[in-house]
Amino acid sequence: MLAFDSAPPPPHEETVKNQPGGSESYLSLVWRRLRRSWTGLIGLVLVALLILMSIFADFFAPMDPKATDVGFAPPQMISFYDKDGNLTYPPRVYALGESEELDPVTFQPIVGPDYDNPRLLGFFVTGAEYKLFGLIPTSRHFFGSIDGQPVHLLGTDKFGRDVLSRAIIGSRISLTIALTVVFIVTVIGTTVGMVSGYFGGSFDTWVQRFVEVVLAFPQLPLYLALTSLIPVTAPTNVFLGFVIIVMSALGWAQMSREVRGKTLALARIDYVRAAMAVGATDRRIIFQHIFPNVMSHVIVAVTLHIPSVVLLESFLGFLGFAVKPPLISWGLMLQDTANYSVIGTYPWILAPVGFVLITVFAFNALGDGLRDAVDPY
Amino acid sequence: MALALVNSFAPPVRLDHEGRTESPVIDARNIGVNFKVEHGTVEAVKDISFQLYRGETIAIVGESGSGKSVTARTVMGLLSKRAVVAPKSTVEYDGANILKYPERQRRKLRGDRISMIFQEPMSSLNPIYTIGGQIVEAIRVHQKMSKKQAYARALELLKHVQIPDPEARLRQYPHQLSGGQRQRVMIAMALSNEPDVLIADEPTTALDVTVQAQILNLIRNLQKEMRMAVILITHDLTVVRQFSDYVYVMQHGEMREHNTTEKLFANPQHAYTKHLLSSEPRGQANPLPEGSEVILDAKNVRVSFMMRHGTFFKPELKELVAVDSLGLTLRKHETLGLVGESGSGKTTFGQALLRLNDTDNGEIYFDREPIHGKSRAEMRPLRSRMQIVFQDPFSSLNPRMTIGQIIEEGLVVNKLGANKAERLDRVREALIAAGMPGNILSRFPHEFSGGQRQRIAIARAIALEPEFILLDEPTSALDLSVQAQIIELLRKLQDERGLSYLFISHDLKVVRALCHRVIVMQHGKIMEEGPVNEVLTNPKTAYTERLVKAAFEVA
Repeated sequence: MLAFDSAPPPPHEETVKNQPGGSESYLSLVWRRLRRSWTGLIGLVLVALLILMSIFADFFAPMDPKATDVGFAPPQMISFYDKDGNLTYPPRVYALGESEELDPVTFQPIVGPDYDNPRLLGFFVTGAEYKLFGLIPTSRHFFGSIDGQPVHLLGTDKFGRDVLSRAIIGSRISLTIALTVVFIVTVIGTTVGMVSGYFGGSFDTWVQRFVEVVLAFPQLPLYLALTSLIPVTAPTNVFLGFVIIVMSALGWAQMSREVRGKTLALARIDYVRAAMAVGATDRRIIFQHIFPNVMSHVIVAVTLHIPSVVLLESFLGFLGFAVKPPLISWGLMLQDTANYSVIGTYPWILAPVGFVLITVFAFNALGDGLRDAVDPY
Repeated sequence: MALALVNSFAPPVRLDHEGRTESPVIDARNIGVNFKVEHGTVEAVKDISFQLYRGETIAIVGESGSGKSVTARTVMGLLSKRAVVAPKSTVEYDGANILKYPERQRRKLRGDRISMIFQEPMSSLNPIYTIGGQIVEAIRVHQKMSKKQAYARALELLKHVQIPDPEARLRQYPHQLSGGQRQRVMIAMALSNEPDVLIADEPTTALDVTVQAQILNLIRNLQKEMRMAVILITHDLTVVRQFSDYVYVMQHGEMREHNTTEKLFANPQHAYTKHLLSSEPRGQANPLPEGSEVILDAKNVRVSFMMRHGTFFKPELKELVAVDSLGLTLRKHETLGLVGESGSGKTTFGQALLRLNDTDNGEIYFDREPIHGKSRAEMRPLRSRMQIVFQDPFSSLNPRMTIGQIIEEGLVVNKLGANKAERLDRVREALIAAGMPGNILSRFPHEFSGGQRQRIAIARAIALEPEFILLDEPTSALDLSVQAQIIELLRKLQDERGLSYLFISHDLKVVRALCHRVIVMQHGKIMEEGPVNEVLTNPKTAYTERLVKAAFEVA
């Protein structure tokens, strides 16, 4: 009758859209989902900045981290005003200096900003010499004073070393420890978890009992005991390696648990059965079918594990068990804060806490964003 | 709006309203629902109108994604937060437009005047409360009644829905009840306040066929008794024909046609309705060639699982026999149906025959070669000759692999094809044979619909050019019209390639359309065996008879 609507419904639902060039890759799907979470994006940007900062730490640090100046100097404010209160350019900092006037009560010289000797700030200035990546000698810094005078935006520690520069360079060790530990933990944890979950049976039972033993260890006393085993005279890099091994040896168990759980579910899913039915070997099934599907879970676990290692390092460092001088790490820098009178009088040496906080937040935010994004199907 | 005027098959008002004097209980006009998604909105329901009179059952029929559940939830006021109901929609109940009601007023209506039962009885009861407690809560939310009175009423309701031993049930928890019993409890809860309207959203889809008939009969009897109006949402045309007075057919969120059940089935008007009605599985397997050889022969196959029982200090092991000394023979070119309800052990038996499960004992010969006792490595050379297609096309394709990789895997593993190019040619060939285009090798499974995925799974199986395929409910997860296409495809592949199928199913309609012989299983044992026509027309055991009745009559 009426022709408009009586067009027959498509008899086949099999109308395959013909997109040229195949389909969106897995990564682009994940990226599309990650973009939806703004905390995840903030995390991603911060993580990228942190990693850039630690790679080019010497460049970003305004000062030589070992150079000494006045001890416990307070942070210097960046000022756009000259001595007379006029707006000027470039911005400058005023170091503290003793004026010639005396305090009428104590008869001590009055300490205040030295307005007569401004230290002008600029970008890409020449400062302390260093070797970029340990190879290329240069003295170019991201920012600093134009004439190479010391600038302490976050003050100095007890030996008069620049806190900001030390924190930036310390990020290197802290992040290296975290990334190395997490890498080792991931490799061991994923392997053990996948193999144990896939083969199951009594093998799985024994592996899991072992994992439980590792998990049940009282970790803190063990860290302290193990790290104190290292001879005090050991070279710093040996010491660092030992710390990493200890942290990894205790960390993989949790990861293997999570991966095993996921593998257990995957090993019984139909596509694994289908692969068995075409005659695929165990190795092929683990690498082709289980591994790619566990990966998404592992990536999230990794980003969430990194902050816990950063925290652990700062904690052990604070107790003096993680990194020894002359290496610099956030935990080690915090060792100076163990004393109440020091914190009360010179609160700026707590600055590394801020770095730890930002790092922990960045990786956690990224991990949360990724958790929703990694399974786009 | 314009569309509703144009669509001569689905005017907003019912065709048979002339004879009625009373006004409808529910008069829904121009319901439209949009869902907000990432890029813009999706129109899930467009301009749907329907009327429901006291004491009758209307059926809303459609395939998945047709918007039938969304329509029902709009009436109930149970849409998700992302849903936006179009402003022109009205649902008149008792002379007032309930869509305009504030939430508090709607809540009063819900569960009191308009009740709903859901598809999944396993998840719609709260596992940590007793059955009695949950029914009592449903009663006391809407009626002022003491706890004691409410419990008495709950008992009465349970008796009403014919649960055996209702006193004991009141104190039991949901996990102690079977699926059918839980659905009865859901019905008891829905009826607790004697509603005017009962919405049943696929009430029997999750249940076994024999239980399905009982539940639908129960709803019908209660309806007569209480003069309720029932909206039955389903995809099952047999159910529609048996239980509804008036049918609305939906597709892609639009109303295609509506009419009285009798007229609609006798004389469908809209092309989609005709298509849907013709999608019921029909036809028969082509006759077997004379003297075809036996390809699969199994004797005394037994599979059991150990269940740990008792306490830690006094462990008891209980043996659960899933497959109890069964045997079968399958000839080349033949399709053998393996039928039974859930838990009857048919899938376990099937997978044991392919040696994907471990067997306790028994002999299995594949093409006269004994394969029992062979290890996985020893089975490998035979794998390409026997294949499997699973029920759920969503879990049987690895989401991280492309279609090309998925189908090619079997060829790589079995070292078929001289090089990559040759293998990919075979992959394309298999896809085309399974009715899919050959240019989708670099696409991922999530880009395809259920029916398309099942075709891909079939392509994976036939790419190896097997002689025998185990089909484990390959059509149960699919819509009716897609199901018909897959059956057609399987039949065609069998003729072209001389395949032998072992077809596991609970749906006797599909079995009739595809199988030569059929084996009926219950509790791990064979109840009956024989040529498909004989078993279906002249069942020898009461169990088979129930299955047959449930499949073809639902009564």
